[in-house]
Amino acid sequence: MSFDYQNIVTISVYGSAIALILIGIYAVLIKKNLIKIVIGMSIVDAGIHLLFVAIGYINNGTAPIFSPGNEDRVLDMVDPVPQALVLTAIVIGFATTAVALALVIRLYKHHGSASIDNIKSLKW
Amino acid sequence: MSITPVHYIAVPLLAAFLIPLLAKLHKELVRIVPGLVFLYFLIISVTLMQQLPETGTISEVIAGWSAPWGINLVFSPFSGFLASLMSFIGFLAWLYSYRFKKVDFAQSQKYFILLMMLVTGSIGIVLTGDIFNLFVFLEIVAISSYSLTSFYSGRDSAEAAFKQLLIGSFASAFILLGILILYTQTGTLNMADLATKVHLIAPSVKISILVLFLVGFGIEAEMFPLNGWAPDVYSQAPGPIGSVFAGVVVKAGIYALIRVLYTIFDIPEITHLLIILGVITMIIAEVAALRQDNLKRMLAYSSIGQMGVVLIAFGIGTNTAIFAALFLMFNHAIIKSMLFFSSSYLLYNSTTKAITHLTGFAKKMPFVAFIFALGAFAIVGLPPFSGFWSKLYLLMAAADQKMLLLIGTILVISVVEIIYYFRVIGKLYYGKEENNIEIQKPSINGYIVMGILGAIIIVVGVYPDLITGIIHNAADALSDKSTYIQSVITENIVR
Repeated sequence: MSFDYQNIVTISVYGSAIALILIGIYAVLIKKNLIKIVIGMSIVDAGIHLLFVAIGYINNGTAPIFSPGNEDRVLDMVDPVPQALVLTAIVIGFATTAVALALVIRLYKHHGSASIDNIKSLKW
Repeated sequence: MSITPVHYIAVPLLAAFLIPLLAKLHKELVRIVPGLVFLYFLIISVTLMQQLPETGTISEVIAGWSAPWGINLVFSPFSGFLASLMSFIGFLAWLYSYRFKKVDFAQSQKYFILLMMLVTGSIGIVLTGDIFNLFVFLEIVAISSYSLTSFYSGRDSAEAAFKQLLIGSFASAFILLGILILYTQTGTLNMADLATKVHLIAPSVKISILVLFLVGFGIEAEMFPLNGWAPDVYSQAPGPIGSVFAGVVVKAGIYALIRVLYTIFDIPEITHLLIILGVITMIIAEVAALRQDNLKRMLAYSSIGQMGVVLIAFGIGTNTAIFAALFLMFNHAIIKSMLFFSSSYLLYNSTTKAITHLTGFAKKMPFVAFIFALGAFAIVGLPPFSGFWSKLYLLMAAADQKMLLLIGTILVISVVEIIYYFRVIGKLYYGKEENNIEIQKPSINGYIVMGILGAIIIVVGVYPDLITGIIHNAADALSDKSTYIQSVITENIVR
């Protein structure tokens, strides 16, 4: 594997996307504060979106728009489908985070503490 | 303007946008307009199901880009059957909750719009032919259900909704990762096109995609061990919403799981995995239901156990088994919805929702107690009610494959079901009556809804041939992949 510029960029983008997903999963599983858990969920979403966009990239590619002067560079165009999927996923992630934060506010008002250890009235 | 499957999606979204505006004209419109939408669903269900024998599977292309590049809605006998069932249960839920509790105007606006979105999202999951569209509709269902679970302003409902949100967001993350890997390997998002290209993927990558989808859709389909959110949600949500969850949303989850496993992947060993997961789900859920004293939690665990039985039936895989699975889904939707509807009135004034609260209720609310007993008899599989036929077909399918241990397990679990259901019936009919508990008589809508469902159970139990024709077509449509692929990609395109 040759260590030229393109390879390092590709590896670092994929690697950081996967690292973001793992950091987010760690935060949801280990942290006890409700707000930190919601932030963890948001980080997982960010990692997945970055991974999606990175998948579609072609080295030295151009934007997938047929503008004058760019009509014959079809093979070089970056894949537009993952970008459309990511736009949808960003909106969905934002709505879910909003609902989550509203629930966190309600839980804090009822229980008086933002630690998930104190919220266990519903068990087996 | 002819009726096409896109009306299932376009009409309720338009109505959801218009309801806050119409509410400024007249406040009752908030409750009436969703009812009109659900009535329209029933009309188009009947129309499209009648058109199906002539035209075959209807595949409709949205926005001009034909499959496999654009999104299409597929109305096959299988998805049409499920969409009609979901619109029927949605209509009954609207009718039941029209005057259920005295919620004020601002809250009832949220409730009815969210109820409409819940049913629309589930119908969208069932009708779509594109896997990313499946994800979007799954998210519509998920966000509506988080909001509806936390509808009553108590502390337990917020906890149940937060648990559901945590686990649900993991479900979306895993499904999105699975779609991502599938897209990079095959280059398409259309489910029929994926079915033709999946054999080109390397087996190690195929297994990782399969595991991601199994976990992601298993959370929505309440497989063990991914169903920890379900008992809390069913017991804390409002009564009609509990029946919509049990009758509509979990069916959509199982549909998504089965569509991905059967149509896209075609691995023979997946059937054994489904049987094992279904058996574990069934055993743990039914045994956990034994030690519940909260009536709605008991019904929730029973619902999870029934879904385990459906997974076993899908896992066996023969044509009789798929027919039994679809019949089980139909029966579970009707009977479990009726049980949730009647238990909401039984527990109307109870704060703890305990079974011991229900002593002697049969004398005070005879109709509701009778409906609950009818539902309990039907769901454990006693003849002459409709639950008997579905269990019989399941056991026949298992006997064809010589799985005797499986038959024994299912029968033992049926005895466990009888124990905890008849315990409730005993309390209802033979308990000592207490005079200082006030009851709430059901409204006329509640009587109508429970009466319709009870009548369906009895009629289908005595004449199962009314439904078996439709379910046979649905089972054939599911197990026949090539017809699905052909009707999406080449023929029968409605623009």
